[in-house]
Amino acid sequence: MDMTLDLMNERDDNEQDAARLAGYRRLIARLPVTMRPSLHQQVDGWNTLFPFERNRLGKFMRGLDSFQPTALDALTAKLRALETRMGVEHWNFSQGSDTMENASLLARSAYYAEWRRDVEQIFDAVNAASMDNAAPPAKPARLILLILPECLPVDPVTAWNDWDPRGHAFKLAGDARKLSELLIHGQPARPGMDELLAPPSGATSSDLWLIEAESKSVGLLPGAAQPAFCFLNYAALTPLRDRFLAEVNTVPKNIEASDQIMAAIRHEDWEKWWPAEFAGQPQLRNFLIDLFLSGNGALIFANAFVEWAASEVLRRARPRGLVARFGMRSKPKPFTGIAIFENQQRISTLPDVDDPEGSAIDALILARYVWLAATRYPEYEQAYCLCVSEYRNTAYLICPEGGSPPWDIERPVTPDEVSSRLAQILAI
Amino acid sequence: MDFSRRNLLKAAAVLLVERWASVNCAAFGHDPALNTGRKIIVVACGGIRRSDTFAEAGFQNIPHLYRDLMPQSVFYPFVRNAGVTSHYNTISSILTGNWQRLDDWGKTPPASPTVFEYLRKRTGMRQDETWLISSNKALTSKIGSSSIREFGPAYGANVIFPKQLLISAVIHAAAEGNPVHSTDRASVQPEIEAMLNSNNYDGLGWSVSGESAAQDDLTLGAMKKAIEGLVRTNAPATGDEFTYLVSAEVMRRFSPSMLVITFSDMEVAHFGSYSLHLGGIRTVDRLVFELWQQVQELPAYRGKTTLLVLPEFGRDLDGSNTNGFFNHRQNGDSTRLTWMMCMGDAVRKAQVIENPVEQSDICPTISRLFELGNLDLPGKPLPGLWI
Repeated sequence: MDMTLDLMNERDDNEQDAARLAGYRRLIARLPVTMRPSLHQQVDGWNTLFPFERNRLGKFMRGLDSFQPTALDALTAKLRALETRMGVEHWNFSQGSDTMENASLLARSAYYAEWRRDVEQIFDAVNAASMDNAAPPAKPARLILLILPECLPVDPVTAWNDWDPRGHAFKLAGDARKLSELLIHGQPARPGMDELLAPPSGATSSDLWLIEAESKSVGLLPGAAQPAFCFLNYAALTPLRDRFLAEVNTVPKNIEASDQIMAAIRHEDWEKWWPAEFAGQPQLRNFLIDLFLSGNGALIFANAFVEWAASEVLRRARPRGLVARFGMRSKPKPFTGIAIFENQQRISTLPDVDDPEGSAIDALILARYVWLAATRYPEYEQAYCLCVSEYRNTAYLICPEGGSPPWDIERPVTPDEVSSRLAQILAI
Repeated sequence: MDFSRRNLLKAAAVLLVERWASVNCAAFGHDPALNTGRKIIVVACGGIRRSDTFAEAGFQNIPHLYRDLMPQSVFYPFVRNAGVTSHYNTISSILTGNWQRLDDWGKTPPASPTVFEYLRKRTGMRQDETWLISSNKALTSKIGSSSIREFGPAYGANVIFPKQLLISAVIHAAAEGNPVHSTDRASVQPEIEAMLNSNNYDGLGWSVSGESAAQDDLTLGAMKKAIEGLVRTNAPATGDEFTYLVSAEVMRRFSPSMLVITFSDMEVAHFGSYSLHLGGIRTVDRLVFELWQQVQELPAYRGKTTLLVLPEFGRDLDGSNTNGFFNHRQNGDSTRLTWMMCMGDAVRKAQVIENPVEQSDICPTISRLFELGNLDLPGKPLPGLWI
């Protein structure tokens, strides 16, 4: 009986979604051509969007729907005229999805900067129209924890020079490696992030993400029965990555052909390459495929994967908690280092050799990039960012604007105290 | 760098150029010793931020450029790339003096004449007096001449891609199930040989001029021996090193009047390793210094060469939504504003020119140095030079 009811509810949901998405497509058709691809792509991928993305798209569509035709024509007239000057009607421009060719055509247009300004203005106006008059909800506290593991020789004197000047450097007393486990899993009678940020029963969570470079993580790996986490581990994804990289490296030096091959890769059946923990997680799978297709070293270097995945998670899911743990990169191999975009294990039988100094330089700037990515979004105005270097038990804490460190930074602080205070903040 | 390996790379470079000469020179009936006129070398080196080079924190990455070469140069700290900040478009724009808006991956030739074409058409220079030697895999051999009917390939430069030859050999070897191993020199060697033996190198971006399949057995034998040694070595290979060595050999053999070299090791930034990116900058710093020493050593170049060194563009700003140093597509100063150094014949007084200039000013400058007359270009000759 319950199952029948569930199926009926699901069918109703599907029908509602279909009607809603058809409405969205009609609204998108009212927009200038160059605005359509990314919106169509989101509508087509509705089932793989994170809750934040669905809400944002829905809000944009409500805003768009609120415009009378004449008002929308007036709003978009400038961009339409620009598209005519750009010659968009003569381009091989995909309206169905973002493509490399679209990006290339736009970027090399003499009007590119003007086009970007015009598109931004339209987005801003539509988003403004979607605002209701109710007071904005209070922004909950968020936490970004960035871990530079013990194997990376980060210079404790200069490490934080380029970071947000609002931050505070401090020493950790005891074993810094315990901090992440304490924060995530808590202690008896004190909930950790996994409990504090857990979704309601049955719901899919995208509110807590753990992203790691290496398989030898300390206490970050959630148990199989903990769907509260979105968990990405570069090392655990090796079979999928290797296969994916081999496919991506078949892309020829031709933009049109590249788009076709990339689309084929996207729709390929990757089922047998997914690690077991990705079963029944279409959003997470889609996220990873998008990530790998978007380059930025996500298929090549573990630390680039961690940074780019974390940045994309912040952009697409806006989680309340994000833990990113960086790791060691191997040195480019003799002779094969010129083909760094290839699978080094496949083209060289020489053993990997760690590059601790280079990895430390990479991880430090990439950790900072994760924080900088967060600062682009208003949701993170109330975020705390803690970057821990386990090498010399040092850390850097950035508090929300106007806030002050929740512990005395003039003396070494224990991991227990740090995790306890941050958990209290998240619980509010 | 390991000197024994470098010698082997050098031997391979010599033999690559030797092969080119054996195939092409007879047709030209050319004597390089006659090529004694003014020389210009332009070195364009990928995407490099000012903050990683000519800035307090960046000087450590460019000891030669900063300490050895800058004091004898005219230095332009504010050089703008106002075009499309992709490799193919930027190099095409520098070569033509017009901002090019082409397919980023080199599907079409530049849409206005290159300086190579002007030079050859107006002065009667032979093809082997104008060369573009590039590490960058985003370029294609189409960059050597424009699509303009009155100019085109008949007036184009020789364009070669040494780094791509090595990369393709490694990938081919792996694809054949022969992973590279320190003791397994046979795995890559046949691949390189096969590529050198093939009739048409266009798949690697190699060749603009003659497509002859003629082989000089003696040369080929020596080349094979050098490659055998090259593959046996066990030190990291940098593509820019090989590009430099081929360039140096081209200078020795042909003394080209117009030589453009592009380096690209620093483009590893696209994959997210900042430390390897800085390593690429340091390699370029060393190679430019060696190039300048080579200019002083070769009689055909000493005292009559102007060398221009510049990044193609910067890289995106930390915190940008284009992922900072990984990319170079942001419309801001971090990406568009770069620097340039000019040394040699056209410099009478070392100085820093604070006034902004554009990369499109390079072509008119070269035109003036070669006395090509009015080319009707939008830019103007660079200030501070003796031209």
